[in-house]
Amino acid sequence: MSTVAQKRLFHEYKNLSTNPPDGITAGPVTEDDMFHWEALIEGPQGTPFEGGVFAAELKFPKDYPLSPPTMKFVGGGVWHPNVYPNGTVCISILHPPGDDPNHYEHASERWSPIQSVEKILISVMSMLAEPNDESPANVEAAKMWRERRSDYERKVRDEVRKGLGL
Amino acid sequence: MEKAFNLPDSTDWLDTPLSLLTPLESALRCQVCKDFFNNPVITSCSHTFCSLCIRRCLSTEGKCPACRTSDQELKLRRNWAVQELVEAFQNARPSVLQLARRPATEDWEETEAGTEKHASKKRKLDEQDCSNTKVPERRQTRSRTNCAERQTEPATMEVVEDSQDEEYVPEDGLVSCPICNRRMKNEAVFQHLDMCTGDPAPPKIKSLGSLQPMPPASRKLNKPPERLPTINYSLLKDTVLRKKLKDLGIPNWGPRPLLQRRHTEWMNLWNANCDSKTPKSKRELLQELDVWERTQGGHSHPTGESAGSVMRKDFDATAWSTNHESDFKRLIANARKRSDALVRTTIPSAAPAESQEAPTAEQTAEAAVPTNVQKLEQPLVDLTGTDFPKPQLAQDVEKSERTYVIPG
Repeated sequence: MSTVAQKRLFHEYKNLSTNPPDGITAGPVTEDDMFHWEALIEGPQGTPFEGGVFAAELKFPKDYPLSPPTMKFVGGGVWHPNVYPNGTVCISILHPPGDDPNHYEHASERWSPIQSVEKILISVMSMLAEPNDESPANVEAAKMWRERRSDYERKVRDEVRKGLGL
Repeated sequence: MEKAFNLPDSTDWLDTPLSLLTPLESALRCQVCKDFFNNPVITSCSHTFCSLCIRRCLSTEGKCPACRTSDQELKLRRNWAVQELVEAFQNARPSVLQLARRPATEDWEETEAGTEKHASKKRKLDEQDCSNTKVPERRQTRSRTNCAERQTEPATMEVVEDSQDEEYVPEDGLVSCPICNRRMKNEAVFQHLDMCTGDPAPPKIKSLGSLQPMPPASRKLNKPPERLPTINYSLLKDTVLRKKLKDLGIPNWGPRPLLQRRHTEWMNLWNANCDSKTPKSKRELLQELDVWERTQGGHSHPTGESAGSVMRKDFDATAWSTNHESDFKRLIANARKRSDALVRTTIPSAAPAESQEAPTAEQTAEAAVPTNVQKLEQPLVDLTGTDFPKPQLAQDVEKSERTYVIPG
């Protein structure tokens, strides 16, 4: 029994494997469950995240692509204004247009069925480079980013190094 | 599920000489389901989607997924041109892809054999047009088969064609168009004259049914089913809604939100089917509704972790393997018996040699048991994709370790 969601996820999986964007790898944890993916994102160059590799898990709803997936960094927190301390990513492309709890996002940046895993991961990569501190998920990190940028960058670099086991 | 990588996709063209077909194929696919357009319709903002895809989007959000303009499903219009493009492309796809992939393997073999050294790409493409001129014997057979297939297909054309013999006027109660000489019913002539291009009726070989505007004569054959109207659910009481679902012939159990979702899904399935050139039967639609019921409706598991199909992170492999040890032993024994039998029947002389290899296979199997129970059940699944992020991670980490410069 293959549903629309499964088929579409197969398409995205195949597309990402045959034609992956720079610095991004993603695919289902097991092909028995297309609704649970793992992704790896390289830290963007020229940012304190450079050199890091960040693992995340994506969970897709059964009515995907009508509703967006959720994304959570795993294995060590990512110190970033738009990432909750538990790793959950808070970014407008992952929010359905219906509800805007934060009242700041343009509808055009929000989830739509024509978005894709690839676009999400690219957005997350650029989010790492350019935090949006209008509605931070991690208030401490946002404050640090705004007021003590060098401390923030040092902390991020430390986290990256720790994440690599150095 | 093992067909993941057999799923036709626009990326199939990427590593062929025809990589420029990748964007063409993408353009013929729906942006919502990523499949070829199925009953394409166009929105008032001029975006095209599968009828069912856009109906589902509109009933959840009321907006076009591409540009977020508000739209209503009543305003959707069929997009025949796109449907024809998709059908034509899908017809051509397998043979073009085969040709595109061929140079890497077969041409080389042929060069080896000293035949067809200069089979240029141009000529191969010509073969697609069923031109029977000077093509190598093998290809010709193939293209002839294609032609034959096409000729058998267009049985849907209802217009009587007599362009072959203009003198002959069949006594079929039809009249011919004064411009193009097609024969049709008397009352259809005026309507036809409005759009008649003057081209003579095309020869049979080109008339893939869908390439022609649907002739008026065939329309009355299957009267299009009536569309279901949208319901303002807030105006209906539970009992009325339940009765409505019953009248429609769909399940009417469950709490109210489920009833509404089920009705919406049914309405979308039904109305999308009304857009189809070849509508499905109600029974098929009911089966589709049943799939919906099991995945997203009343029979779905809210957690999403369908029982047993996924290995949880905290899965206790050791306990599992001890609990089911006897089962695994039996499976391994069976598999060994079968492979032994196979070896014996196919190459009896090789049996002694093979028996040395058997233990290796069995060791591998046993080693796999405790760590990866799932995989044992589906040994045919291509698992190369399953753990590809991990090796990548290892590589990346190594790379990073090498290049990382500790600041300060």
